[in-house]
This record gives sequence, C-alpha cells and structure tokens, in this order.
Amino acid sequence: MNTPSPKATRLFTLLTNWPKTILILSVLMIAATASFMPKIHKDTSSDAFIEKDDPVLLYREHVRRTFGLEDPIVVAVVNDGENGVFNSESLALVGALTEKVAALPNVDPDKIMSLATESNIVGTFDGMEVTDFYDPLPTTQAHADAIRDAVQDFPLYQGSLVARNGQSTLIIAELLDQEIAEQTYQDVMAVVAAEDIPDGNAVHVAGEGAISGYLATYIDNDAKTLNPLAGVVITIVLFVAFRTVAGALLPNVIVLGTVAASLGLMAAFGVSFYVITNGLATILIGIAVADSIHILSQVYEEKVRTPDASQREITVRAMAKMWQPVTLTTITTIAGFMGLWLGAEMPPMKYFGLFAAIGVAGAWFYSMTFLPAALTLFNIKPSRLFAGANVGDRYGHLLAALGARALKHSKVTLAIGILVAVLGVAGTSRVLIQEAQIENFQTDEPLYIADTEINARMDGTYFLDVIVEADEKEALFQPANLRRMESLQAYVEGLPAVHGSTSVVDYIKQMHKAVNENRQEFYTIPDDPDLVAQLFFLYAASGDPTDFEEEVDYDYQKANIRFNLPVADYQLLTQLIPEIQTYVDTRFNTASIKATLSGRVAVTHKWIQTIEENHVKSLGLSLLFVFIATVLVFRSSIAGLFALVPVVMALLLVYAVMGFGGIWLGVGTSMFAAIAIGLGIDFAIHTLDRMKDLLATRSGSYDERLQDLFPSTGRALFFNFAALALGFAVLTTSEVPPLLRFGLLVVTAVSTAFLAGITLLPVLGKLVRPAFLFRNADEAGLSKPASVTASLLIAATGAALLLHTSPADADTLPSADEVIAKVNAREEGEWVSRTLKMELIDRRGKTRTRDTEGYRRYFGDEKRTVLFYTAPSSVKGTGFLTYDYPDADTDDDQWLYLPALRKIRRISASDRGDYFLGTDLSYEDIKKEGKVAAEDYAFKTMGLETVDGFETIVIEGIPKDEETAKELGYGRVLWRIDPTIWMSRKAEMWDVGGNPLKVVHNSDIRKVSGIWTTHRIDVENLKTGHRTIFTFAEVDYGTEVDEAMFEQRSLKRGR
Amino acid sequence: MRLVPSIRTTIGALILATAPVSADMFENLEVSGIAETSLALGLSDGSLQKSTVTLTPEVHFDLSSRTRVTLIGRLRSDLKDTLEPGRPDGQARATLSDRWHIGSHLEAELREAYLDTEIGATFLRLGKQQIVWGQADGLKVLDVLNPQSFAEFILPDFEDSRIPLWAANAEIPVGDLTLQLIWIPDTTYDEIPEPGSAFAFTSPLIVPSAPPGVPVTFADADKPGNAFTDSDVAAKLSAFTGGWDLSLNYAYHYADRPVVRRIASAQGITIRQNYERSHLLGGTFSNVFGDITVRGEIGYATNKYFRTDDMTDQDGVVRANDFSYVLGADYAGFTDWFLSTQIFQSHLSKAPLGLVRSGTETRATFLARRSFMNEALLAEALLIQSLNDGDGLLQASLVYEWRSNIRLKAGADIFYGKRDGLFGQFRNKDRISVGMEVSF
Repeated sequence: MNTPSPKATRLFTLLTNWPKTILILSVLMIAATASFMPKIHKDTSSDAFIEKDDPVLLYREHVRRTFGLEDPIVVAVVNDGENGVFNSESLALVGALTEKVAALPNVDPDKIMSLATESNIVGTFDGMEVTDFYDPLPTTQAHADAIRDAVQDFPLYQGSLVARNGQSTLIIAELLDQEIAEQTYQDVMAVVAAEDIPDGNAVHVAGEGAISGYLATYIDNDAKTLNPLAGVVITIVLFVAFRTVAGALLPNVIVLGTVAASLGLMAAFGVSFYVITNGLATILIGIAVADSIHILSQVYEEKVRTPDASQREITVRAMAKMWQPVTLTTITTIAGFMGLWLGAEMPPMKYFGLFAAIGVAGAWFYSMTFLPAALTLFNIKPSRLFAGANVGDRYGHLLAALGARALKHSKVTLAIGILVAVLGVAGTSRVLIQEAQIENFQTDEPLYIADTEINARMDGTYFLDVIVEADEKEALFQPANLRRMESLQAYVEGLPAVHGSTSVVDYIKQMHKAVNENRQEFYTIPDDPDLVAQLFFLYAASGDPTDFEEEVDYDYQKANIRFNLPVADYQLLTQLIPEIQTYVDTRFNTASIKATLSGRVAVTHKWIQTIEENHVKSLGLSLLFVFIATVLVFRSSIAGLFALVPVVMALLLVYAVMGFGGIWLGVGTSMFAAIAIGLGIDFAIHTLDRMKDLLATRSGSYDERLQDLFPSTGRALFFNFAALALGFAVLTTSEVPPLLRFGLLVVTAVSTAFLAGITLLPVLGKLVRPAFLFRNADEAGLSKPASVTASLLIAATGAALLLHTSPADADTLPSADEVIAKVNAREEGEWVSRTLKMELIDRRGKTRTRDTEGYRRYFGDEKRTVLFYTAPSSVKGTGFLTYDYPDADTDDDQWLYLPALRKIRRISASDRGDYFLGTDLSYEDIKKEGKVAAEDYAFKTMGLETVDGFETIVIEGIPKDEETAKELGYGRVLWRIDPTIWMSRKAEMWDVGGNPLKVVHNSDIRKVSGIWTTHRIDVENLKTGHRTIFTFAEVDYGTEVDEAMFEQRSLKRGR
Repeated sequence: MRLVPSIRTTIGALILATAPVSADMFENLEVSGIAETSLALGLSDGSLQKSTVTLTPEVHFDLSSRTRVTLIGRLRSDLKDTLEPGRPDGQARATLSDRWHIGSHLEAELREAYLDTEIGATFLRLGKQQIVWGQADGLKVLDVLNPQSFAEFILPDFEDSRIPLWAANAEIPVGDLTLQLIWIPDTTYDEIPEPGSAFAFTSPLIVPSAPPGVPVTFADADKPGNAFTDSDVAAKLSAFTGGWDLSLNYAYHYADRPVVRRIASAQGITIRQNYERSHLLGGTFSNVFGDITVRGEIGYATNKYFRTDDMTDQDGVVRANDFSYVLGADYAGFTDWFLSTQIFQSHLSKAPLGLVRSGTETRATFLARRSFMNEALLAEALLIQSLNDGDGLLQASLVYEWRSNIRLKAGADIFYGKRDGLFGQFRNKDRISVGMEVSF
C-alpha cells in the first residue's frame, strides 16, 4: 500500500469536514456547466475538418461564387432494356423526377440538369438552333430514338448526362446550402419513393452532395444511441466489480460531471460539436470511471482492514493513498491529449484533444472532491467481494496467477512482448493512408449501392475542377487558349480513373460542328476568335445564355473544366493530383493564362493530406509530453521510458490491427494514436507507482515483494480495463463502419496497454532493476515533486485554454440586458453628417454602387434621418426621410422622394425587416445604426469571443415572440459587443426558420470628435450570396445640421 | 421672333454646358448626365415607332453658399420621326420655352435652368422648372401647373413628357405649415400631336368631327401671349400633423388643353382653338396604416369646356365645373412587392345635354411592381382601365441594372377597347420597346 502522506491526510480530513457543502457545490457546478450543453452547436459538415481560411477552401469558395458550382445530389434512372432509357416511359420518368426534385427546398431550380432541362445544338440552314430535348415531351419511341441519336451526336453529354451505353441517365441537382444536404437527400429519396417507377426502370440517388451531407448524420445518429449504451455497460462492469449500489452509482455522477465540464465548456466557448466529438463522450466516460474505480477499490480494501473505523476515517485514509496515482494518471493523460491538440490542424481534432484534456481534469477534480465527500456522508456498505487482507474473488485470483506466472517466466514474457511488438511493426508498415467518404457507409446502404451503381455506368459523380483564368477579358475566344484547354482535357482524360470532362471547349466544338451541317470533321476549335465569339452569340440567340454559366464566366476570362471520376479515394488522388499539377505548371500555365485545381475532390485531397502529417506530429508530441510528465513525476528518465512501454505496445498493436485488418488510416482513425496514449498511460502509471511502493515497503525477493501488486492494483486496473473495453466494445456492434472501427481500435489499445502494463512492467523491473523503482519512497519525496508537477501541468492546461478562448466564465460576465443597455446608451452625437457609399455585390461578384449623403439629428428623443443619393445619375436625387419616434408602439413616418416622379411618396414603415433599398441590411438595421431595439428581444450572455483581435461579449437575442421575429426577419441574432466601445463588431442573424441568414461585420471603427464610429460595414446574405459593403466617410459630428434638412420639402431639393 | 440657331451653335452650347468648367469660377461644380437609347416596335404593323438617342446632361454649381444653379439640357434624335413628323410648329409653346429643331430628326431643349436660393427661411427657386402637385400616379387632378407633351400619349414617364416652365416658386415656412407661392409667366400649353403623327388624337371625346361633305377650315390657335397679364398664379399650404400629410391647393391658371370650338357658317365649319382660364381649388392627403399607405387628391375646377354632339350648339363645346378626385392605396406588405390601386372620378356639375363624355367618368388603375436580386431587376405592370368606356392601357416593363451606371429596359404598351375611347383610339399603336440607359 502507498504510504499516506501526512499532508494529504490533513487535506482530506479538512475536505471531509463539510461533506454536504462540497456535495451541494459539486452538484451546482455540474448543473452550471451542464446548462450550457443544450446550446452546443452541431457542425457535422465535412468542410468543418479544414480551417476556414485555408487557401484551398477559400479558392473553392471563389470558384463556387464565379461559376455557381455546388456539390450535387445525383439521381440516376437506369433501364437495362433494349433501348436503355430511350423509351417514352423512362424519359417521362426523368421529366417527372426533374420537375419534382427542382421544386424541393434547398435545390437550386436554376441549376438542375437532366435530359429534361438540357438543350441540343443542331445546325440549321442559317446557323444553328438550340432546342430542348424535351420539346415536346417524348411520347413515342420515334421521338425517344431521335433523342438518343441527338445525344449520341453530342459528345459532351456522353458519360456525364447519359451513360455511354444509353442504359442510364442522370438528374443532377445542385444544392443551395450544403449544411442541410442531409435533409435534401431525404427529400429526394421521398420524391423517388412516391414516384410510380415503370417496370424495367430503377432509380438511384447518390452524389457528393448526398454523401457528405448524409455521412455526418449517419454517424451521428448511431453514436447518439450507442454512447448511452456504453454508459450502461460500464455501470454493469462497476456493479460486477463492487457489487454495491454506491460502487455502481457514484462513478456515474463523476461521469456526469466530466461530460458536463467538457461539453458544457465547449458550448460556452462556442466550439462546435463535430462528428468525431461523439467519440469524446465515450472516452470521457471511460476516463471518469477509471479514477473512481481505483479510489473505491481502496476504500473497500480499507473497510476490510479496519471494519470499525468511521466512514470518514476510511475515506481519508483511502484518499490519502490514492490521490497520488490518480493525479499522476491525470497529468499523463492530459499530456497525451495535449499532443493531439497541438499536433492536429483540423479544428475537430484539435478541439477533441483540448476538451478531452479538460474532461480529464474535470474527472480528477470531482474524484478529489465530490467522491470523498459522498463517501463520508453516505454510509457505504462493505463490499462482499473485498474480504480478508486481499481481494479474494476470482478476478483477484486470476490476476495473481497471471502476475506470478509472468514474473516466474520473465524471459518468456519479455520474448512474447517483443514478438507482439515485432508483429506490430510489421502491421504498421502495412497501414494504408486512405480515405473515401463513401466507404464509411454500409455496403447495403441505399446510398452506397447507388454510388456503386451510378459510377459503374457513368463517367463518375466525383468532380475535379480545374479553373482556367486569363489576364484579359474575352481571352477565351482565342483559339490558342482553347487548344491549351483542349490539350489539358485530353491529357487528364488519359490518366487512369478519369473518365470524362466537360468544358466550354466541348460546347464550342459542338456548335462549330452544328453550324457546319453537323459534319464530324468540324468537331474542332475554329481558327478564328471572331467565329468563337459568334458561335456564342448564335447560341445566345436561340438558347438560354445562362447555359454556360457553369463553364465560363460572363467576361470569357475564366473557365471551368470539370473532370469526372467514378471514385475519389485518397490514394488515387495522391497519384492523380500531382500529375495534373505538374502538367499545369510545366505545360499549361503562361504569363497570360493559368490553371488552378479546385472542386470537392481537390479540397478532399488537401485535407486528407494533412492527416498524415498531423498524425505523425500529434503522435510524436503526445509521446513526448507523456514521457516528460512521467520523467518529472518519477524524477527519472528511465521511468519515462518504462511508462512508454505499454503505450507503445498498444500503439503497435493498433497499427497491426489496422494493417492486417485493412482499416485505413483516415480521418476518424488518425486520432487513435493520441487516444491510445491518453488511455494506455494510466495502466503504466498505476503499475509503476504501486511497484515502487511495494518494493520500498515490503521485504523478500523481488517476486515476493510484488505479490500484492496483482490482486489489488492489478484487480483495480482490470476493472478499469474492463470498463473501458466493454464500453467501447458496445460501439463494435454499430452498423456504421466508422463507429465499429473506433470501438475495435480502442478495445485493442486498452487491452494491450492493460496486459503490457500488468505483465511487462514488473518483468522489465525485474530484469533491468532501474534505480527509480528501488529508491525509498519517503526519501524520494515523491509527493512533493508530484504535486508541483501536478499544479504546473494543470496550470499549463488552463493557460492553454486561456490562449484559445478567454478566462471569464459566462456567469461572471455582465448581464446581457446591461450590455444592450450600454450599447443603446452609447453616445452618437446630437447630429451628424457623412457620406455613405454602398457597394451591392451579387454572388458572381458583379458590383453596383450607390453614393449617398446622410444626415441625422435628434429632436428631443425623436430621431430624424435623411439620406440623399448623389450617384449614379440614374438614382441621383432620390431622397429618404425617416422620423423615428421614441414611443416603440408608434410606427415611424417615412417618405421617399423619387426624382422620376418628382413626388414625395409616403411609405409604410411597418416592414422593418424588409431590405433597405436593395442592400443586405434591413430598414431596421439601417435605422438603429448599430443599436438594438431592446423591447424586441430576450437577451442572453453567451461568453467571450475574439473578433478582429478585440475581446467581445457574445450576446444572443431571441425575438420575444413569433410576430416580432417575423417583423424583424430574424429568428435569432448573435452580437459580439466590444465592451470597451459598446459596439457590435460582428453580428450573425438567423432567419425565422433557424437557417443562417446574415453576417454583419463592422470594421474600421475609430473615434471621430470623441465618438466611436464604424466606417465600414460588410454584410453577407448567406442565403443569396449577395453582399453589401457600406463605407462611411467625412463623418462630422461637429457642424450643426439644420433642422430644415429634415423637412419633406428639402427632399425635393436634393439636400 | 423665333430662335433658329445653327446646328453648330446648338451643339456648341450643349458641349459648353457639359464641359468641365474651371473650379475657380463655380463652387461645387457637378457635371453628370444620362445617355439613353430606346427602340419601340409597333405591334400591328411591325414597323419601328421610334428609334431615339437622348442625351440629358446636368450641371450644378454653387454661386454662393446659399445659391445653387441647376442646368439640365436634352438633346434627342429620333431616326424614325413618326411621333412628331418634320419640325413641329411649336405653337403651344412660349418662345423662351421652345425646343430647337435641327433638321427633322434632331432637337435640343433646355429642360430646366433654375437658381435655388434662400432668403431667411424662405426657399426660392427661380427659372425654368417642373412643379408637381398631387398624390396620384399617372392620373392628374392637381398636377396641372406644367403642361404636357402628348407626342407619345401618356406612355413616357411624366418626368419626360412634362414641359418645364419659367416660373418663380417660393416656399415659406409659416409655423409648422409651409406656404408655397408660384408665379408662372410662361404661356406654354399642352403639346397635342398634329394629325398624321403616330399618336394623333382621333377620339371624338377630344376631336370634333364634321358631318360628311361639310368643308372644314382650321383657324390659328388663339394663344395667350402676354407674360404678365396671361400668367398663372398658384398657392399651396401643406402640413404634416398627427401622421397626416395634408395640403390645400389653389391655382388661377389657363387650362393647358385648348378648347376646340367648331364654328358653323355658310362657308362650312371652322375649327378654332383657344385657351380658357380656370380656378382650381383642391387638396391632398396621405397617411400610413400598417402596411397600407392611403393617399388622395381632390380638386374642383371651374370654367372647363367639354365637347357636345348637340348639332344645335353654337360652338360644339359646353361649359361645366369639374369635380374630380383620386383615391389610392399602396400595399408593401410582401417583401420585394409593391402593389397599388387607384380610383379616379371626374364629375361634371350640372352636366349639360349632349355631352360626348359621361357626366361622371371613372377610371381605375392597378400597379404591381416586384424587385428581384436586391433591386437589380424591377418588373412592373400598370393597368389603367376606363370604367365608362371599357377601354384601357396595360404597360409592362422590365428594368435591369446591369452595372451601377447602365440600365437595360424592355417594355410593352398595350391599348385595348373601343376605337372611340380615350385609350382605345390607339389600339393600333401597341408597341414593345427596348432601351439602354447609361449615366455618367
């Protein structure tokens, strides 16, 4: 037994003096942290895995804006009959599905593509004609045959829209918001289910949009049911271990506290709950339980030893002995997870590491406070299992036998260990770094079947986009540039796994052929740039000019080449992408034209690429931190190496399972190194600590002195292991492949770490006889450096946390109502004049500007504002006058002067949520000038956040009722209020349906005449992609603005 | 005296007006303008109705801190020249307000030229200007101070068809009220297209007809010409109180539409046109109730003349007082939509016998406007329906703001109803139009 230190005894005597107080405080703290949990924001998108400002993601966003490209959901109609899909029934089905899918919410009705929407380009006597394939809807076989012939004559659609053998065709629907892709996938599935599918036809739904959207929910849903089940299984393990109610329930309270601390703080600091955060919950359950298992075991042992001692005495004694190993394992586990935090780049993994570390600290805290308090207060019945000096149950016996045998045949044990390690190394070399989202689905999942089926028939539903950008407008009319693109297409199509491509070049060739009586020899790029321009003009004359929106921009300066791939796994991409990049660098790019890789495929490649580096980095850091922590704790570098033995064994075996089991090192699995280290180190620390104690206090041979190690510490470790292993084993029952793998690998890791810890460490101690094990415990003064290290490391965790977010807890922040009151009391001068430039930018970057002059003046509490347009000439002279009355119930009075009418129009002010004169701010936003109508909302302080380098208080506003929400157009608003200037630096708005609506960013805030003034506001409408930039200048609070300025008659005069 | 400057001097003047002037001479000089091209295609015969290029330069500068000068010119060429074929005689206009015709396809006009200044709290606008009264859209009860060109009937914006006049306009604050006093020494009246123009009037509501075989001679119009004795005066008192925008209006003026008399004699029938003075007393109101704006204007005009088909009548016109009003409601409750409806009634007191028009005339208008893409695209449909004659006009338009300074326009104007009606008379003049407007 560890010798209880007198200081620890005093501390725990003190703590158990007020068990009720501590109990109540603990419950309050758990409740406080848990209260944040409902507000946690779920982000299950796959884009979450990459830093928002990563160049690849930014460029893809740029491409998305330029060409309006989104990840599509793909519906395939398959008919293996003689005519394939070219029969009237199948074609009608395509038509019906196209129409119904286009009508779904979140499907961009302008960006749906199928035979029913596409046009054929045919030559005519005087040029060419663009006609819809479905004009009219084919009802006869003859018409269907004609469509088949037309499609066969149109290489562009071959393989991309219609299978080359004609047996399937696609409906490609682009989504407006990828975040709700899962719902849209379900909607599409419902449409398909409701459709009457004619015999011989089959319909499949797949596509990148569906996969990435659905995957997260797919995993999340299964995890939601399995995590609680893991908790139940662990409780059962606890009951088996102690056979007492207290033994089964008290650890659960600590689990609750741990999970609340970790997830509650996540919510409080605004960190999203990602797909992999599901794994965090399970790990925390295991860790929280581990601490209490060791303490409870000690309590029951003490109870057997001194049955007459008071409950408090027993508790104090047990705590005084156990606080040390529990603290040590806490430190080393934190060190392991800190490695993940610092080594990983993907936000979900970083936060996994950080909040796992926080959870571990939380588990330690409640084990040190709540547990002794509860044990003192409630009369714990002795456990029947703990009788006599050592635990006499079969688990104790089993462990004793195992330990004795391992020590007796120490060389054999070592040899087995080395053998397993060699096996592990062999397996490690076989680990494949690979990721393919589709492989995360069960093979009998409809989406998986659909993906396989469609990609087998078509050119592929995975898209690699290559963006061509020239430095001049209309450069893409130049045949030289088009040929360059053509060669690039030909080269890439020649690469393995690339099955087809689409670009504006294909359209040009088709049109060129069409205007030359459809003669095949004219399926070429014309030599004359003017002819290219004319072809587009001709097309525009009879077709829809927006047909090329996805291939070329309005100025014919940028073009998109889209390559189709039937698979998009990482191994393939690591081959493909560098090859294409080399071609682009050496043979495509010139000073005047260059190409860049983009698209979902390129983004996927980029972030999976980081997995490999991150994995090695976080693995290295975790091992290093654990080593340093152990070295500090035991004051011996040999101890550090000893502690790493079970951990490294666990890692090697995990790799072996991955290597031999064909489990890829991908997104989900890349974190195992850190998790295995974090969990595995506990076994080593507990074993080493007890070994040291036994070797110092017992007498006899090495083997005799260690005899007690196995039935007591070994037994506790066994239940620690059992709780973790069985808890995670629950996950292996999941039908979702990633969860199954997660469970399997964690079970492997903890089993190895447990077995290696309990057998290899005593054997190594016997063979190596390191000095640190044989130092006298008292001499070593273990408790002192340990406590110093503990404080240091826990402080470091805290500091790291501070660096990320901020120290204050939401509870200590000023109340939201106070903050809003301060914002609304902010001085804004009695009057002001200024100019305001508004830049209205649509999602393709087209910009319209409005120059205005604005004046405001207070008439008592009544605020009057007038705005005059000064440019462009088409709107010059437009004037807008508002009287804003202090009484909230009185509607404003508003007048608009339109120079074209030369009349002042009285306009209704009741639609406060309407957009202000074509901008992205509402009338209300404009009028309040950064203040907030306090009577409209219920406010809440959410925490702190740094915006543009300034610390801000995050305030949530929820409209007080549905009607107000509708009026404002907002269902929720989050302001980031800078408490040094009482202004919002950034606000986010959600619509009444809860969808993200707007982001308002105030910047260039500086003092003018002593008044803080925003000089720039950027507003982005997330639904439409439209943006507005408001730039204020010549702000003047000093010069009095004449009262007459706010009379109707001044509107007419233009000032 | 008629001003007939050479092409060179006219163009020179316009260039001078738009050219940058040295900043030392004028403070805050602003030069801007709009160039617009418009093409209208008649639907009945498929021929071009007009093909115009219009340049509207605008110059503003300050003479002193309280005095600002505005000059707006207009240079317009019409390759088709069917709206006002040849060089219109301009007899409805006072000399100083007339246009300069440079050949039959090109005309130049000083649209507005005024000086704004303040004397104490009184605001003065002196010079050629547009003064607009009333609350109605597309219908006129009180908006009678400036005459109008009917070269394209009522199809163009009033802004373009209204003829600016030389006037003195003072706005004087009187407590919370504003008193507007207007003196218009400009004897310019409505421009009625001559027979043979695309939109020449044919409706018997306006144009007298002679029995078959009776010779008709046209006498010169008898137009008032004395800037002082024949000038118009007007006053308006406006207030904003209790949420209501109210005004009281009075004008003593020459009605801008000529009275067309048919004088029968042994030689046949002589058509004579002259102008008559009228007192107009009226008022306007508007207020907002929730999403609905209610507005109205009301007017009582004396001494108005209307056609009669009573062949025994001496001159073919009878005199009556006209009580008319417009009531309108605008609804902006749906995002991006603007809906508006108006009802117009004109009631003649003591309606004389044989009146060609009804004693009470009723018209209704419906307007729907929807903006798209953050107001980059505006679609609008306006229906004007006569409830007496069942004829009407449907105007639909699309305006797309392609760049900050470039707007693309497309529109259709469809007339329907019986040939005798005010709108039905143009049933063969349906047109579609496209245009582009570049501002600088």
